Amino acid sequence: MSAPTISRTTPRVRVTTELVLAVLAGLAIVVLTITTNGNLLQPGTIRAVLQFLAVPMVIGLSQMVVLAVGQMNLSVGVLTGLTAVVAASLMVDQGLSPWLAVPAALLVGGLAGLANGLLVVLTRINGFIVTLATMTIISGLRYGVNGTGTYQNYSPGLVDFGQSSLLGIPVVFLLAVLVALVVAWFFRRSVVGRNMLASGGNPIAAMLSGISNDRSVVLAHTLSGLLAGVAGVMVLMMSGSVNASIGDDLLLPSFAAPIIGGVALVGGVVSVLGTSLAALIVRLVDVAQAQYNINPRWVDLVVGGVVLGAVLLSQSRDRKDDA
Amino acid sequence: MTDLMPQAAAAPPEAELARPASLPWWANPRVGLVAVIAGLVVLFSSLRPSFLNVDLTLVPMQADIAVFAVVGLAQLAVLSLGHMNLAVPRMAALSAFAAGFVYDRMGVPLLVGLLVALLVGALIGAVSGLIITSTGVNSFVVTLALDFGLLGLVSLLYAWFANGVAFSVRPAGMDSLRFDTMSDYCAGNVCGPPIPLVVPFALVAIVAVGLFFRRSRVGREILMTGSSIRAARLSGIPVARRIVQAHGLSGLLCGLAGWLLAMNNGAFSATLGEQFLLPSFLAPVLGGTLLAGGAVSVLGTVLGATLTTVIQKGLNLLQFELDQLNILIGSVLLVALSLDRVRHVLAEKRGTRA
Repeated sequence: MSAPTISRTTPRVRVTTELVLAVLAGLAIVVLTITTNGNLLQPGTIRAVLQFLAVPMVIGLSQMVVLAVGQMNLSVGVLTGLTAVVAASLMVDQGLSPWLAVPAALLVGGLAGLANGLLVVLTRINGFIVTLATMTIISGLRYGVNGTGTYQNYSPGLVDFGQSSLLGIPVVFLLAVLVALVVAWFFRRSVVGRNMLASGGNPIAAMLSGISNDRSVVLAHTLSGLLAGVAGVMVLMMSGSVNASIGDDLLLPSFAAPIIGGVALVGGVVSVLGTSLAALIVRLVDVAQAQYNINPRWVDLVVGGVVLGAVLLSQSRDRKDDA
Repeated sequence: MTDLMPQAAAAPPEAELARPASLPWWANPRVGLVAVIAGLVVLFSSLRPSFLNVDLTLVPMQADIAVFAVVGLAQLAVLSLGHMNLAVPRMAALSAFAAGFVYDRMGVPLLVGLLVALLVGALIGAVSGLIITSTGVNSFVVTLALDFGLLGLVSLLYAWFANGVAFSVRPAGMDSLRFDTMSDYCAGNVCGPPIPLVVPFALVAIVAVGLFFRRSRVGREILMTGSSIRAARLSGIPVARRIVQAHGLSGLLCGLAGWLLAMNNGAFSATLGEQFLLPSFLAPVLGGTLLAGGAVSVLGTVLGATLTTVIQKGLNLLQFELDQLNILIGSVLLVALSLDRVRHVLAEKRGTRA
């Protein structure tokens, strides 16, 4: 019942936000290309831009999945770190092959997400507080694996694969695109995904149409944890060494991407393309910083401004729609 | 005043600050907190007698509690509305920068720097409140974006004005605030208790915030706005102004917390306050303040800050590592909140039966 309503009202908002973001990203690329004398379009630069876009994209999607049901997940960043460290530990300390360690990392992510979801549903405590608590716990576990030590040489094969490119496009970025496509399909076509959106958009209407809101919440948190696990594996593949500080700087970007991408905090709306484009824009700010040798701290300032600007823009458009 | 606020006149003043009267005393989270704190103090001091050592443990612990109670109140000020302030750490950092700047460049006395910190904090808090009311954007998003922005701004400011990461200036009196306790000041043979000099600053803030929400008209109207913005608007409360004021208060308390931490640390640095976010929620939530808004517990917040500090110091003495500490503190939060739920459900059942 409620699914058609959602698909009728949201695409209009979503498409315009996505269009604005695409134009913005396009403009940024043109400006960056011209001002760096074409340096941005060198194959090496493109590869670097895309390679380091993969993790922010997936972590943004990981946050987006819980925002879809009106929840938040503060533990995504530290969970990414935990899964990377656990996988590295399994390979170095236990001598497991990457074929086992990578699924184990995904499992850890999924289970942590499941725990978040169950805690939210069973205790009825606000999801923000639950994940604040699990964030603290997971951040402790993350250091518990190997202290502040660094894992290296865990799997040359995996790292070679992670740093390789296909037709000039980094493999990790292709993986991120694949993940994004699956998530987009999930919310657009699958019954479970549509039910989750319905729960997020209007829990009472969803309940009356026979959807279990609790199941949607648990599922969203599990998926979010799984995606954080994917991001952890990507970190593992991209760099030859991992330590427990991974993920400390991912929490704010995880919110920035979906919020800039037009995903509301109240639930019921997702935009995979918007979230991905927003991650690209944030990445371009990073690139600009590197190209122009600007103090890296400007990046945070600009990203903060962009988040606020994006929300204000969509807000004023919503108001016009209402009027 | 009562004519304008019929609801407030109808309800007893305790109703909004404490639990509703229908709940029995043991459903009051503050009673549980006091019991847990007392139990932990007994446990830690029997395991490590040095836990009761005045100079090594008790004095630094009081200084920490002072800072974290104020940090908790900074969050509580907006939780009263059902809002959040994710920029607590960076508002504190910006205020501390401002204080450090005036000490360094203008050589102002200690208390003038405090006033500057409070002013800057209140201003930035009010700005965030203004953005929220004028745009209608969720407070979470606004303060998140603000935190991003301030994170960049604060380190840029330190880079421009402090040649790097910190002001090394020490205004007169800073060292005594940092190291002295009241027992260093004697009148004849009678010396003060071993309480660090930063504690009175926090006490003033605690009492002032408590009175503000319990007695002052603005504070009560903020709480009403938090419990139902529609009802508040219909009863003629200037809702937008109250929201700005609550955020301004939050910023002001961030300023105080930042300044107090700078005094405790003895330095104004760019990373100051970055550990504030978790404790800012921990203290009020443990103390029974809901995220939904409309009710606050100032005393609970102080107890919540005390509990987390006691756990931290105790586990430190037992030589727990930082990671184990994090796991335990996260678990304590979850267990405490789950117990709170259980207690609430039980109390309500009992209430209906009685």
